[in-house]
Amino acid sequence: MNCAEFQRELPDFLEDGGNAELQSHLKTCGDCSGLVTSLQSIIHEAQFLRASEEPSPRVWNALEIQLRQEKIIREPRASHSLLPSLRQRWGIAGWLVPAAAAVLIAAGVVLVPSNNRTTKLPPSPPRAAYDQSDEQLLQEVSMRAPLMRAAYEANLKDVNNYIRDAQESVNADPNDEEAQQALMDAYGQKSMIYEMALDRSLP
Amino acid sequence: MQRSTYATELTIFALIGLTTWAVAETKKEYRFEVGPRAKVSIINQFGSVSVRPSTGNYVLVNATIFSDKVEVDHTQNGSRVDVQSHLLSGATPENSRVDYEVLVPADASVDLESTTGPLHAERLHGDVEAEGANAAIDVRDISDSHVHVKTMAGPITLTNIRDGHVEIDSVSGDVTLTSVTGPLVRVSSTSGKIQYDGDFGYAGEYRFNSHSGNIDATIPQDASVDVKAQSVRGQVQSDLQLKPKVHTSFLIKEGSSFAGTINKAASSVWLRTFSGKIHLKKR
Repeated sequence: MNCAEFQRELPDFLEDGGNAELQSHLKTCGDCSGLVTSLQSIIHEAQFLRASEEPSPRVWNALEIQLRQEKIIREPRASHSLLPSLRQRWGIAGWLVPAAAAVLIAAGVVLVPSNNRTTKLPPSPPRAAYDQSDEQLLQEVSMRAPLMRAAYEANLKDVNNYIRDAQESVNADPNDEEAQQALMDAYGQKSMIYEMALDRSLP
Repeated sequence: MQRSTYATELTIFALIGLTTWAVAETKKEYRFEVGPRAKVSIINQFGSVSVRPSTGNYVLVNATIFSDKVEVDHTQNGSRVDVQSHLLSGATPENSRVDYEVLVPADASVDLESTTGPLHAERLHGDVEAEGANAAIDVRDISDSHVHVKTMAGPITLTNIRDGHVEIDSVSGDVTLTSVTGPLVRVSSTSGKIQYDGDFGYAGEYRFNSHSGNIDATIPQDASVDVKAQSVRGQVQSDLQLKPKVHTSFLIKEGSSFAGTINKAASSVWLRTFSGKIHLKKR
């Protein structure tokens, strides 16, 4: 069994512990065991948030998948990493990675409505091109790789516009699953920019 | 006479320059014996990575290093091989480029990263992951495995990918898919264009989403698809005759959305954008 096959069976594994073949792969694969540990941690923490907002289980599943796809919950390659750690390289800006993950979770909890909610949300206020976290990220990019600031700035601006439009669609029809998916996609794009800026892309 | 001396000096300077350049560019080769389904990771900050199949159970890495501000680190744990460009003091994007030519067993899974790229993988049947903020990414002739690609601004080209999950995320880079089929093909973009040329296979799920990027899909008349298309603020157009659907999950508006089937509707195709144009073309 390879990693792709394991990840295909991941929902079943998380639900009932999986069969012997899955267990066997997990014992020998550091990447997959790290992924499972992270997912189980998120599922555990999510239960506390769920008590206050009660989105549907589908929302949590979508969030888990999104976080995995975006590698936000990826285990650091500490065991074989030859580069300095994120904290060493980015200092205080290292918090932006969990912040991006928190943004995704918050988006899922607050902005994606549960299926039985029928009242429309109030229209969102106009947004600035960048929020505080974006400014912080751009400052870090400016310091580390000034030539790349313009690219990050332009792409963040586009993604924030995407989020704004998707948010308006969700507000207009909170039960529109496609609008919800678009909002998740938009946040996914933003988290990808953060990941690329903070992970390994810059010296 | 004076002209001759000048020419000689010029030649000497040129030779010195060439020698310096040659010294600065170092080639290194690393070979790793691996078992079946090896996992190979090439993490490069600046420079290209190109992966092709080897003829045996080994990984061969040829690295061209362009300065002494960067070195190549490598580790092997069983069939897992990790190679990374390690930036040293004084490294900048301009002086820390490394180009990698890599041979891996065809069933190996590969993970490629580079900010600048380009990244290239071909003729493999293990999983392929490729990521780079500005990297042009080209993946071709991959079967029976997953392909995951991410860029911020780099263009993505996928050609002849079959029977695996294909997931692509690009913020502003254009995405071009030719003969890409599988049980799941997902493309998410903000402003990049999405172009698809193929038949959407059989019994697959295809989801192409963008914010402002246009979406073009070119398919043959004998394709078997259930297609939905919606542009919230842009236009949609279909050159193919679709059999209309009675029920849809969204309101059909002339010019901004359509839904219908062609032939047996084996594959599900969902094209959605906010302000881009969608065009379903006949090949």
